[in-house]
Amino acid sequence: MTPGLVSTRSEYDHLFSIYVPIAIGVFALIVVVVLVTVLIFRRRPPERAARWHEHNPIEGTYAVLLGCTAAFLLYLTFTAEHRVDTVANQEPAAVVVDVLASKWEWTFTYPAYHFSVRSGTVGRQPLVVPAGEAVRFNLGSLDVIHSFWIPALRYKHDAIPGSTQVITLTFARGVFPGQCAEFCGLRHADMIFTAHAVSPSAFTAWARSRGTAPTP
Amino acid sequence: MSVATARTPRVPRLTGWLGAAISTDHKRMGLTLGVCSLFFFLLGGVFALLMRAQLAQSNMHLVSDNSFNELFSMHGSTMIYLFVTPMAIALALYLVPLQIGALRLSAPRLCLAGLWTWLCGGLVMQQGWFASGGAGRDGWSSIAPLSNGTNTPGVGQDLWVIGVMLAAAGMILMAGCVVATVARRRAPGMSLLRMPVFTWTALVSVLMVVASFPMLVLVMILLYIDRHGGNVFTGFTGAIDYQDLFWFFGHPVVYVMFFPYLGAAAEAVAVSAHKRWFGYTAFVASIMTFAALSMAVWSHHMYVTGGVTNQYFAFTSTALLVPAGIEYFDMIGTLIGGSIVLRTSMLFALTFFLQFLIGGLTGIFVASPVLDYHVYGTYFVVAHFHYTLFAGSIFGFFAGVYHWFPKITGALLRERLGKLQLLVMVIGTNMTFFPMFFLGNDGMPRRVSRYPAHPGWGTLNEIETIGAGIIALGVLLFLINVFVSLRRRVPAGDDPWLGHTLEWATTSPPPPLNFEAPLPPIRSYAPLLDLREDDPARAGAT
Repeated sequence: MTPGLVSTRSEYDHLFSIYVPIAIGVFALIVVVVLVTVLIFRRRPPERAARWHEHNPIEGTYAVLLGCTAAFLLYLTFTAEHRVDTVANQEPAAVVVDVLASKWEWTFTYPAYHFSVRSGTVGRQPLVVPAGEAVRFNLGSLDVIHSFWIPALRYKHDAIPGSTQVITLTFARGVFPGQCAEFCGLRHADMIFTAHAVSPSAFTAWARSRGTAPTP
Repeated sequence: MSVATARTPRVPRLTGWLGAAISTDHKRMGLTLGVCSLFFFLLGGVFALLMRAQLAQSNMHLVSDNSFNELFSMHGSTMIYLFVTPMAIALALYLVPLQIGALRLSAPRLCLAGLWTWLCGGLVMQQGWFASGGAGRDGWSSIAPLSNGTNTPGVGQDLWVIGVMLAAAGMILMAGCVVATVARRRAPGMSLLRMPVFTWTALVSVLMVVASFPMLVLVMILLYIDRHGGNVFTGFTGAIDYQDLFWFFGHPVVYVMFFPYLGAAAEAVAVSAHKRWFGYTAFVASIMTFAALSMAVWSHHMYVTGGVTNQYFAFTSTALLVPAGIEYFDMIGTLIGGSIVLRTSMLFALTFFLQFLIGGLTGIFVASPVLDYHVYGTYFVVAHFHYTLFAGSIFGFFAGVYHWFPKITGALLRERLGKLQLLVMVIGTNMTFFPMFFLGNDGMPRRVSRYPAHPGWGTLNEIETIGAGIIALGVLLFLINVFVSLRRRVPAGDDPWLGHTLEWATTSPPPPLNFEAPLPPIRSYAPLLDLREDDPARAGAT
């Protein structure tokens, strides 16, 4: 993969690797504290129960600590989101694919090569893209809201009728299942496709064999 | 002080079905609402079991695609509009007047009208099952333009729209009566900052109902017009508008479905630890902050639409961890130094806190747009909100039931059966919902009737289906417990747990006007505990 291109997958994995251990740590800490407290303070006579019930300095300190945690997580999230939503879309795209979602199929059009492939209830033609290069997708929908999702890329975006939304993704080489992730009616489950990310030269060869050669 | 006996009440004692139908006693209305909600809980549970059966293996054909879509839509709609939310209001209706020393509810006839409106809404929604084309089948949020007349034709979806509108309108009326009661009928000495913890959580909830449910009524009216040629939600802006309007209701309702159960669990923890709730003032401030923030997080359901400012909603949603963290701190602060009795209500309450924590922590996870870009619309989200709603709120609900059942009926529930129910439900709940995190992260979308034979998915789904059966067994144990406990009654007495709040100062069940004996002096949010602390000789008395 070309260095410097935004990878939605590594942005996700990076955040995941920070959020999840914190969550597991907090969960384990609270479970242990509750269990130990319950074991220590079980079955004492009720009149021995403590009467204190407020400690503002400790509560205040704790609230500030929570606020700092929230600020830290937001800093990480905003940094990652800036790269995924803004930086990626500024990259020059090697290929543009128009994605038209409809009940219940995907139509992938390669405007530079003047042809389309379709996948869903109609058949299973693959979406072919060059690996290691920025691929721009223009998402549109014919009828209801669909969502263009490739789980291996850890990214999805809605295709909403009446709009064209632009996203930029970078693929590693491989074969990746994709599917509609927004409930779109009767055969939502069948609205699936496969993305084949191949070497740029293999992609060009494939595209030329399918459509007209790009104008030089 | 003899507030209760000063007036000679002329309240006819309505009993039986007639009483349940037309009584304006807040306890009867709360009970009717609760029992009807519980019926809808069982119905929604049956829908869930059928869904889980269909999903037990990859590519099964037990039910048709259309039936599956009806099942998941009606499961969500039934649970949210007809069980968890109204049950929260039912708890508030029954308990808030008792906890604040009120003799009756404000505007009780309005409340009764609300109860009937809500019930009609529920029945109308369920009638969709008999319509051609089937019941509501666009999910509990029925987003446009999928839910318009072209994409989802048929009477069933219309009945869903009308049903939701009526149910919401009814709940607004009932919630308004609780707000008015808190505002106007608190007993002498019961200042706002002496109201019990449960009352505060219930008050915040009903305020959110009053503030956000009118939007749901409006959206449903607009959707109905849209479905019948009105073209309200058209194009990109129409699609985004629907979601903005719907989620403006749809996120606050999540907290309406949480706070009263948090309050119930908090009361059970405090009473079973024989210690007043720790950090009361901070707690009250935190749930107010919680409620205020939760009115401003709605578009975190729309990160992938490209139609909202993600950073703003990520900020408000992540900030929720501050008030939520304070609640956990207060729970632990209440336990430390207490005298803890692990009765069923306490065990359910502790399980509520620990299981909800999984839902809460994954909530911080999905509040991050970059993480949500992947897990939105997948089983990860399904796992997340079932950990908050089922592993959380429903366990809080059972904590409340075991805590207040003796007050409501005068009879104790069986403890051993209760602990068995807890054990079965904990196993079932975690078997059902924990694997969903892995499925979602691995790429399984929600709301699909079939899934391909992906490695590992079959096994995880099978575990979930077995877990769902175990949950059903747990619910059955609960029903048996209620039946046995009412048939062979073990009298509870007025105050079986050494309660802290005023409902334990009256008889079980309370008389029509709540308090026949004079109320004890109210100097804090735990007036009965104050009495015991003043007079240690009474501390061990039951």
